[in-house]
Amino acid sequence: MDYDLARIDYTLCGVTYPDALKILPSTDQKVQQKFAVGDKNGVLQCLSIKDEEPVVHFKTLPGKPITSVQLASSVGTNADKIFAASGNEVKGYTKKGKVFFSIETSVSETITSMIYIFRCVLGNDLILCSGRTVTLYRELQEIYCYVCEDRVLDAIAFATRNRNRIRILVLIANKEALIIENGNMQKRTHISAGPTRFIVPHSLPTSEVYAFYGAVDGSTGLISYDESELSAKCLVEGCGLGSIMCVGWFTNNSGTHLAVGRHDGSIQLYLVSMDDLSEKPRLKFTYFSGEPVTSVCGGCIGTDEPELLVTTFSGRIFGLRSSRLIASSNKTSGEALATRRSKLESEVSRLEKQTANEREKYKKITRSSFSGVSAPPLLDIQHELSGATHNGWQEAKITSAVPLDMLFVYCDSQLEIQTDNAAVLSTCAPQEYNRTELLTSIRCQAGTRRVWLRMRIVNFEDTKMEGTRVLVYILPAGAPRVARVIKFHLPILPHYSKYESLEIEENKRPWCELQVSGGFSVAEITSWLTDVLPGELPRPANKVSFARSHSFLGTSLICKYQRGSAVFKSDNISTIVILKNFISNCCLKRNIREEISFDVPEDFCVTSFQLLKDKFKSEYQRKKEMDIKKAISSLDLDEMTINDETMPILCEDYLLIYNSSDINNTETNFDELTETVTKWYVDWWKLYSTESFVNNDDLKTLQNVLKNCQLDEVENIMDFKQKSSQNAKINYY
Amino acid sequence: MQASSVQPVFKLELNHKVTPGIVTVAKYDGAHSCLTASAGYDKIIIHHPHGGMISGRAQRSSAHGEVSELNLSQAVIALATGPIKPDCNRDMLLIGSPTQILAYDVHDNSDLFFKEAPDCVNVIIVGYFGKYNEILVIVGGNSSVLALNWEGNEIFWNVVSGKVCSMITFDFDRDGENELLIGCEDSYIKVLKNNQFIMELAETGPVLCLSQISDVRFAYGIANGTIGIYEEGIRLWRVKSKQNAVSLRWSGDSLACCWANGRIDWRDGTGRVHRRVQMRSNAAAMLLADYRSIGVPDLVCISDRGEVLGYPPVQENMGMNTTSNKLANEEDRLAVTELLNKKQALMVELQHYEANASSMNQDLERSTTAMPTSTKLQVAVAADTDEGCLQLAISTNNSTIVRVALVLAEGIFESGETLARHPNSTQLKSLLYVPLEPPRDVPVDVHIKALVGYPESEQFHIFELTKQLPRFSMYTMLSTSIVKTKIDSYVSFRITERVQRICIWINQNFLLDEEIDLENEDTRELHISFLCLRDRSRVDLDFGADGQVKFTTHDIRLAGDLIQSLAIYLNLSDLQSLARFPEAEEKLRSEMNIVSEVGETRYRLAAETAEKAQLITALLPAAQDAASYDLKEMLNRYKDVILLNEELLTSCHIRRATQEQAVASLKNLHTILQQAARLRVGKYSKAVITACRAAVSDNNTEALVKILQAGDT
Repeated sequence: MDYDLARIDYTLCGVTYPDALKILPSTDQKVQQKFAVGDKNGVLQCLSIKDEEPVVHFKTLPGKPITSVQLASSVGTNADKIFAASGNEVKGYTKKGKVFFSIETSVSETITSMIYIFRCVLGNDLILCSGRTVTLYRELQEIYCYVCEDRVLDAIAFATRNRNRIRILVLIANKEALIIENGNMQKRTHISAGPTRFIVPHSLPTSEVYAFYGAVDGSTGLISYDESELSAKCLVEGCGLGSIMCVGWFTNNSGTHLAVGRHDGSIQLYLVSMDDLSEKPRLKFTYFSGEPVTSVCGGCIGTDEPELLVTTFSGRIFGLRSSRLIASSNKTSGEALATRRSKLESEVSRLEKQTANEREKYKKITRSSFSGVSAPPLLDIQHELSGATHNGWQEAKITSAVPLDMLFVYCDSQLEIQTDNAAVLSTCAPQEYNRTELLTSIRCQAGTRRVWLRMRIVNFEDTKMEGTRVLVYILPAGAPRVARVIKFHLPILPHYSKYESLEIEENKRPWCELQVSGGFSVAEITSWLTDVLPGELPRPANKVSFARSHSFLGTSLICKYQRGSAVFKSDNISTIVILKNFISNCCLKRNIREEISFDVPEDFCVTSFQLLKDKFKSEYQRKKEMDIKKAISSLDLDEMTINDETMPILCEDYLLIYNSSDINNTETNFDELTETVTKWYVDWWKLYSTESFVNNDDLKTLQNVLKNCQLDEVENIMDFKQKSSQNAKINYY
Repeated sequence: MQASSVQPVFKLELNHKVTPGIVTVAKYDGAHSCLTASAGYDKIIIHHPHGGMISGRAQRSSAHGEVSELNLSQAVIALATGPIKPDCNRDMLLIGSPTQILAYDVHDNSDLFFKEAPDCVNVIIVGYFGKYNEILVIVGGNSSVLALNWEGNEIFWNVVSGKVCSMITFDFDRDGENELLIGCEDSYIKVLKNNQFIMELAETGPVLCLSQISDVRFAYGIANGTIGIYEEGIRLWRVKSKQNAVSLRWSGDSLACCWANGRIDWRDGTGRVHRRVQMRSNAAAMLLADYRSIGVPDLVCISDRGEVLGYPPVQENMGMNTTSNKLANEEDRLAVTELLNKKQALMVELQHYEANASSMNQDLERSTTAMPTSTKLQVAVAADTDEGCLQLAISTNNSTIVRVALVLAEGIFESGETLARHPNSTQLKSLLYVPLEPPRDVPVDVHIKALVGYPESEQFHIFELTKQLPRFSMYTMLSTSIVKTKIDSYVSFRITERVQRICIWINQNFLLDEEIDLENEDTRELHISFLCLRDRSRVDLDFGADGQVKFTTHDIRLAGDLIQSLAIYLNLSDLQSLARFPEAEEKLRSEMNIVSEVGETRYRLAAETAEKAQLITALLPAAQDAASYDLKEMLNRYKDVILLNEELLTSCHIRRATQEQAVASLKNLHTILQQAARLRVGKYSKAVITACRAAVSDNNTEALVKILQAGDT
């Protein structure tokens, strides 16, 4: 760590959303800057810091939650106008706190979904992202509206070369980035890391399209566009840290730094070379705040020197300032600090008294015979569930504004469950003998505000007709003593979490097709599919089509449906079988008559296995290596003698395997792969040849040759053309 | 909240693996500290950075210049060092292997003594104990403790209920003499004073480490990840972690704790972490030693890959002197952060009350978070003889339901620390039963969290309650009308105490539907029966008018527990009793038989093995010689070698099996002896142990049975 920055707490506000803090540019007289922050209570405040004490310049009344705060970046003048978005409204404030601009937009239907972002650029243009739409307003008039395939996460506006048009770069939840001009999509690209936020370097002219992004997997990278091509490049890997929630700039005398704030509470500074943006940024500083970070901004806040201003989800606002500065701070500030402390102490003790009063009042009510109702508001908790990773784990992230004491997880079917290292997980036996259920309590460390849970379904059967429901009861550590329940829903096909463009349909793959027709509506089939697929589905429309791909096998699933008919295509026959069973069951439940037909290529098994062959081989290799490594380790050889080059004990290959530090990757997926291939074989027989069943001997030989990785043999067994012709002959005779 | 990290003052690599837990530091020449550790099965390494090359049996290691290796023929289980030799300030090395203890003078390269330990060696410590004025070597075995002096003579011996996991000598009752604290596998910390157990602290898992903190305090660590501090028998605090503590040491003014995964943290007086570091691999040990020869002991942390890190005890104060101004500021800032934390919590709470008050005026009946304010939670415990457990009944007083019940308690659940109940959505009621089965007869605090609301609620109210289960909660009272079945196992003794006080004892220690009350003041006797919920057996307690007391139960352990509990309550210093437990006596006889048999066969087997080994050593060179003149002869001789070798191997297996059997029998035997001792109190209890030790060494089974029945008479 190169920089030594220390934390200085300034003040508190309500729960904040990402990007709800902005630092105002410095004015001519003063170097020290003001900042504006909006919170969930709808309060926008503009503050500055004097002697580490916050000074409020203006503060609005509570209202609808403020989900984004931006500064006008009009060319030429100073950007001292503050814009705050709440609900479907946008309000503009001067630095004195006067409302000079207000617009109630027509994006009414998406207002319920709390994620939208808004940016204001180039004078009087206003670009608003809400739900799946990007809308451009000019002089309070809607110019155009572009509807994306998935939720819009962030947008940045650029000018075109000739400066007459606006070019919007948009990040979408399906891991795509788009360029929109004049209401039309110009270019798109897929970024597998899954960017969540991005930011433009200050120094560039507005026509050059460059943006740094921070992604779900914790990595950062650069997006660039040069009229013909939109490309993205990963610059820094995630290093096991949490997903990035916000990005910002921090400039000091050693250069410009990209600041990232993550969900796991870490804040990092990366030194970026402004001459060559694509150069790998260098990590200069890491700080763990312990709770999700929602905004990071650099500026001169407390002193004349730049520091990093941070807000967290629960509403802490603090600075990270160079320790040297803190150490050299003079006597007067020391005294100021002492008075600040005593002031805070008295305030806290006043609050304590007040709270005690209220508590007493509340207790009195509970003791009185008068039957009132105790209905405390819902706890502020955010949660999300990811799609399955290659080995089937699905991760749920839970973020709370108050410290947590315990979680209790209930599921009526068996689950494997993992959690943070810091938390104590204790699973008790099912309530009744012979029942499969999960009762797990998780005791958190003091001060925990965010927890992740990893869940994996044991005993997956394709006869399963609904997704798995998991109830999580969240018990906070302090008052009020209420517990909120959150429902998670693990889908039947959790692996299909990767969004794909529909173009994959044109790929040459052995497509299996399932056609369903019957009296169902689009809304119905959408609700059925939520039980099957992870993540959000497109909203019901006249005709819906989308594509997903398997996070481990790489197989695809294309869904197309409209009122009364649906088509599913996949190059994974087992997926089609599961879907078929599931949909016919849904129809049965709803009393809907349905017709199901499918189309399976004869050579499916062989061709799909060929697609999987490389993966199969490498996993086999890995499995073998791991077995060898295990054997060598159990010999309990002395580390020193093994690595001694003069006296070799192991042969070179073994030494290489032994020293490969693949510690965290001790699981192979070889068994899953053999299982998948066998399943394909069985399912093919089920669907393709209705009259004859799979031969048990064949199945056994297949399992055997798979286990030993005899690929030619596998293909021989899988090649039905030959076999079916033989069968045909037998039938003929 | 902020835990800072620290830099080590010294750092070195041993270039050897280190077996966790088997590490010590000693001054073999009386002046310079040497780190001594087990480096795998039978190898001991000695690190001597201050020169003083060790000669003799120890050989210089090829992997590290300052390390010497010492090879033994047996596995190394425990290491200890101390200046046990009188008039000599040099530390002696004590090496514990599965069946023997070797005291070795490293400096002089001579053996002090060699002692067989039939009850295994788990822990060795060196220290002063009680009135003995020489330093003793105290050895903890599978079910006993044994004290030896420097010549290997037995000083005292006692039985312990479980495997000894840790020991320290510590002045527990502050009388100027050290007591022995024993951490057992059966979850007790026992205090041995004057060869008599004066206190048992019930914990929730095997006690893996014990460490003295100050004159009155000691720290402990348990196999379920709990660490804590006791002061005069009262627990000050405890915290639980996922990892197990390898070692606890008091350094400066904080408790340093070394966890198995290589993390080391420093905790202040209340258990809050204020510093932490992470080693690169799992931890093997942490010791306090003056390894830099500066006069103050540093914390020396050793990882299992042989990395050694040293941390000085008080670093804060050193920093304080240089920039006090900065630190005053720093302290203020931390205080501000802490105050803002507090403020935030208070604000959230206030907001909730405000929102609650505003919603109260509206008629929000049955909203997703609501609950009538008059809701109360009641909890009762009742014995369930059909299921053989206790039923914890949790109920509300109105139409609200108990959605979830979490019962937190340690040591009473098979898995983990909680028991949860989450009824099916169709079976939601305002009454919920939670079955409890405490496996041991100790008082248990059960903490209950119940989530109360309506079936469709999104948010539930948390009700928290703590209920104490008395020591003998698993025994439920039988009505006197039930006919007695004949049990011929009993213990009887005489006390001079009013029956009224006995009643109070019963009310306190048993779970009764209603307290028992005497009919009138003149009642002199009390007869009461209980049913054990675990095995449905019967226990009769008869307190006669003449002070004669008889506990009738087939369970000798329970009889002991009852007597100990009653003795503590009535403050009896000594109690003699008569006992008759045919089952225990029978077992005693059979175990004694096995022990003596095994002893004989072992000697025979050992002799045979030695003979065969000698033959092999003679045959091998003969075979090699034969190679030069007669190949056929050579082959024959080699065949003989192979044959002999196989025989040797089989006899080795047999020896191992008999050894295992011997250890198991010895353990059973010790358990019975301990139970016999627990039927008596004070000096009589001690006398039982002494008499038993004599009888066991004389192999006198009938004497043992007699001691069990009548104590030492």
